[in-house]
Amino acid sequence: MLLCAAIVTVSLVAWAARPQPLTAADRVDRISAELRCPVCQGLSVADSPSETARSMRALVAERVAEGRTDDEIRAEFVRSYGDWILLSPPLLSPNGLVWLAPLLAIAFGAWLAWRRARAPAPVPAEISPAERAELESLVAAEEP
Amino acid sequence: MTTRLARYAAVVLILGLAVTLTLAFRRDPHDIKTGTVGKPAPAFALPSLTDGSMVSLDQYKGKIVVLNFWSSWCIPCKEENPALTDAWERYRGTDVVLIGVVFQDTKDAARDYTARLGNTWTSALDDSGTVALGYGVFGPPETYFIGADGVIAGRHIGPIDEQTLLTGIETLRKGARQ
Repeated sequence: MLLCAAIVTVSLVAWAARPQPLTAADRVDRISAELRCPVCQGLSVADSPSETARSMRALVAERVAEGRTDDEIRAEFVRSYGDWILLSPPLLSPNGLVWLAPLLAIAFGAWLAWRRARAPAPVPAEISPAERAELESLVAAEEP
Repeated sequence: MTTRLARYAAVVLILGLAVTLTLAFRRDPHDIKTGTVGKPAPAFALPSLTDGSMVSLDQYKGKIVVLNFWSSWCIPCKEENPALTDAWERYRGTDVVLIGVVFQDTKDAARDYTARLGNTWTSALDDSGTVALGYGVFGPPETYFIGADGVIAGRHIGPIDEQTLLTGIETLRKGARQ
């Protein structure tokens, strides 16, 4: 009985939380949030109140209404401004280094740590007979 | 061994940084190569500022087009206006056309500006800003050099001087003759 109730509850929650189809306005918001405002400092088109951002947002809305896909709309802006216009640059581009650099740094650090962990512990150097004799004489001198 | 590798890595990183900075500082900020340079100029058809008749890029096919984005509120646009006037006077009636595109401005303010400065070349109104976005304009003034083949050969961001204008135009004219 309890199991049935749990299954029904989980199913209902999963059904309620299912992904909803995006409306045109949702798509405009999403694409605008991915585009950089060219006249702002690090602001997306969605966040900027500038005239240029408003024009870009209007163009996105126009393209969505025309039935263009998100990729086609992004590509149109990339054609005009380059990959720079995307706030998250594609991995396979010169700007994609921003994704790769931290991974490379982590990999290099891990490799250094692994090398260090594998390195044999330093072996104490043997002392020469003369040094041993000197040490013994010092110890003897210290003893009462 | 590890220490030596770490030293090499540090040297490579520092050299990489030095090369990146050198290349970045050598680049002319007025000449951004990304985006539309080297690609066919986006077609447009906009109403003329003076009489509302349509001004399209197609009607200048086979000519060298200097496309200048400007606004009446833009002070650097006023600074570059004498250079544009000189180029307009020099190439008037030749294979070179100068077209202004009004960027984020009202018709009245733009008309008043052209009347005040005595500009007689064609200017068109880009009310929606779509043409500017198609060309990858950041802000006025920006000037694009479009070859007779319809390809954008160069772009100048900021106020343009006479020498840069003439060099851009003459380079395209030489290319067209060859």
